[in-house]
Amino acid sequence: MVEDKILVWKFNRGSKDALRRIYEKFKDDLLGLAITLLRDRSLAEDVVHDVFVSFAGAVGTFHLSGTLKGYLSTCVANSARDRNRLRLGRDAGPDVMEAAGSNSDGPMEHAIGREESSRLQDLLARLPYEQREVIVLHLHHGMRFREIAKALGVSINTVQSRYRYGLDKLRSILNSVVTK
Amino acid sequence: MRPKENIEKFVKDRKPNVTTSRQMDKRTLNDSFAAMEQTIRAKSADHKPSTPRIITLSRMMKLTAAAAVIIVGISFYIVHKGPSEQGITTKFLETVESPSEIMTMKSLKIAYSRGGIEGIENQCEKALKILGPQPASISLGDLFNGSKS
Repeated sequence: MVEDKILVWKFNRGSKDALRRIYEKFKDDLLGLAITLLRDRSLAEDVVHDVFVSFAGAVGTFHLSGTLKGYLSTCVANSARDRNRLRLGRDAGPDVMEAAGSNSDGPMEHAIGREESSRLQDLLARLPYEQREVIVLHLHHGMRFREIAKALGVSINTVQSRYRYGLDKLRSILNSVVTK
Repeated sequence: MRPKENIEKFVKDRKPNVTTSRQMDKRTLNDSFAAMEQTIRAKSADHKPSTPRIITLSRMMKLTAAAAVIIVGISFYIVHKGPSEQGITTKFLETVESPSEIMTMKSLKIAYSRGGIEGIENQCEKALKILGPQPASISLGDLFNGSKS
């Protein structure tokens, strides 16, 4: 936390080294978040790229109110949501993630032979985007419901219900996999 | 049926472990540095610090400037037009020729109305004290008549 504040302080004074260190510190986490949300590595890389370019453009005026990781995660989540909307608009079909999930051979077959994290990605892909977003931000990025609600511009009750419904759905998917 | 905590643990433990590619790192950092430099350049061109601008923008500077102007104004007034003790004394001594001019009729009248003849005597003593010791040869009459020794 203190280290982040020092990095931001240096960054605001035009230190390229500070910007590089911030990037190195969070890049993998942010890319993981973007991939989980978008299920498309290329799009996810674009999102992280855009977030950092935008962040770099705020040099001298950037003010950190919470944690740097929380701030960047929120930026990635917002940018990913915009990309997802654009993609949905282009495809004019159901949720691309759900479509991708239904095109597969099913959760069980899809999971066989894969690593655990990859299996989770597949399961999460079957959730509606909003539920997936809240679950990932809370469980993978340690953001509180209050922070998520503020970042997404919705009420905390909405965030909590999305989280609850998301977990319920995830549980039912897992149960159906186990019973098959 | 998995309890909620187990589901949460299941998700938590399977956080994706991805790493960025070198190309992505290079592209992102290069573009970020370029954006950073562009912002710095734009700021330095637009906001070249000029004294009036600094004063206008900064609240603290506004107060400091106002205080400085007031102090300079007061100092100028005191130096050129304001009262000075030395000046008053000199002017007073230049204009007053004798104690009789200090012991005006008006002051004597006020002294009499306040304390009668004793009041006048007190007033005279005060005048003498103010003007300092006088030669014994000078009579009160001469003193009040304005004769100079």
